[in-house]
Amino acid sequence: MSETGSTLPAERRLSLLVTVLAFALPVIFVLVPLAIFLGYSFFSVDQGTIVYGLSLGNYIRFFTDPIFLPVFWNTIVLCVSVAIICILLAYPAAYFLTTLKGRWRYALLMLLLVPLLMSYVIKIYAIRSILGLNGFLNKALVALGILQEPSTLFVFNMNAILLTLTLLLIPFAILPIFLSLERIPQVLLRASDDLGASGLQTFLRITLPLSLPGVASAASFVFVLAIGDFLTPQMVGGISGFTFGRILYSQFGTAYNWPFGAALSVALAVVVIAAILIGERFGRNRGISV
Amino acid sequence: MSALPRLSTIFLAAITTLVALLLYSPLFVPIVSSFFTISHGNVDWSSPTLSTYVALAENHDILVALRTTLIVGVCTVILSVVSGTLLALYYHGRRSGRSLLQFIIFLPFLMPPIISGLALLIFFREIGLERSLLTVVIGHTVFVLAIVYRTVLMRLQSMSRTLIEASYDLGATGWQTFWRIILPNLSSAIVGGAILAFALSFDETMITILVTGTQSTLPVRLWAMMRLGFSPDINALVALILMFTVLLCVLAARFLIPRQVATERT
Repeated sequence: MSETGSTLPAERRLSLLVTVLAFALPVIFVLVPLAIFLGYSFFSVDQGTIVYGLSLGNYIRFFTDPIFLPVFWNTIVLCVSVAIICILLAYPAAYFLTTLKGRWRYALLMLLLVPLLMSYVIKIYAIRSILGLNGFLNKALVALGILQEPSTLFVFNMNAILLTLTLLLIPFAILPIFLSLERIPQVLLRASDDLGASGLQTFLRITLPLSLPGVASAASFVFVLAIGDFLTPQMVGGISGFTFGRILYSQFGTAYNWPFGAALSVALAVVVIAAILIGERFGRNRGISV
Repeated sequence: MSALPRLSTIFLAAITTLVALLLYSPLFVPIVSSFFTISHGNVDWSSPTLSTYVALAENHDILVALRTTLIVGVCTVILSVVSGTLLALYYHGRRSGRSLLQFIIFLPFLMPPIISGLALLIFFREIGLERSLLTVVIGHTVFVLAIVYRTVLMRLQSMSRTLIEASYDLGATGWQTFWRIILPNLSSAIVGGAILAFALSFDETMITILVTGTQSTLPVRLWAMMRLGFSPDINALVALILMFTVLLCVLAARFLIPRQVATERT
């Protein structure tokens, strides 16, 4: 926009202001808070006040205390499971969408994505009531004769967190898988058909490999969203469903140890960044432009 | 894919139906209970009632929280649209430093909200800014900025350069070109981005819980109420919010999907 050469002084001043803002805004409101946060992880707490002296104490505590590493690991396993279940459900649904024609395809996609916009808190509450002792799930299982009597297996434990997160996050898996399936050129499928491959062969050797980038993005989305969630475990996890997010959150509430909480966040950030990078690495479409 | 065997089509359709049921079951419960009484997990279908909606209109706490949420949402939209559009205009066509700053803008959106929220919480404390609605608005803006930025930038990139060049050739100043050529071309992207930003702000819970002061937005208020259990009028609220959200969603789709594409595909 500076091609005109003879810009007015007012315009020049404005463009200078915009330049400063364009750099300052992201730096002040994103980078600086994150840097301070990182700095906090090296501080410590003494009798309720924060000591601004650098030490590795928080990190040593995280790695040596018998509580934190197992919870951290269990949470990672939980979130990987959530990602896997979400993909197993989302893949067939996304595949089905791509078999539909025109208007129907997008209408149905929309239908499956709209629940994302519904109040998160309300959904958690409703899911909890479905999973509960008097809930719909127990009623259905008893009616089907699978259970003799209502069970507390589905609420206030790790299962509950797994089921709730899965229900909440399925749409995040559907969208990337759908997009990668939709991008597969139809000519490839027709060619495979012409060359005498069966439907299953075409799926296994053409469709599935070409849709794996979408699956990778879906897995990384769901994993990152699941591991950062502290509301769901808090609400449906009860006492036994203890996740890393809850421990982290409690450092800023009841436990009141902000520096230690900051160190736990760094550990969380490392896992999240790794997940995003893996998703990015495998989520890129490599040369299927036909 | 027309050669798909019948059996596998049925299987796929069944799974899709299951997924839809799973996704909608948590929405179904509150909506049904907003019209019917539920006791011990059994719905009393015989007597539909609107009493929950009447009770909602008298629930002062909720209405105040709703108003707070709307104020926060509108402020967030204004701030994020202005700064997101400016940033997109600035970085469009500029290579130096763009990828790094773009990465910074996207960080709060990619990072778990608990990390963004806590970083802001500590930041506000260090600079001595009391937690209030202002800090909530800042938190929301930082969170949704990436969306507005990206929406506007993508439209800018698809816009033909010749339009701008023609405008300069015809003797328009930078300002005139901006107001009469660039902005009108961006308007639908800006409106779509604004709607998305509002929808995200409206439901943002995790960052808000961390950076809010004494005034709570609707999701935070609901979160606090949930520990004790909800009164029936909350169900009415949920039903209303659902309708409102679907409306927003349809509007956003209208503005974000280009008209030609929409007609081509039908």
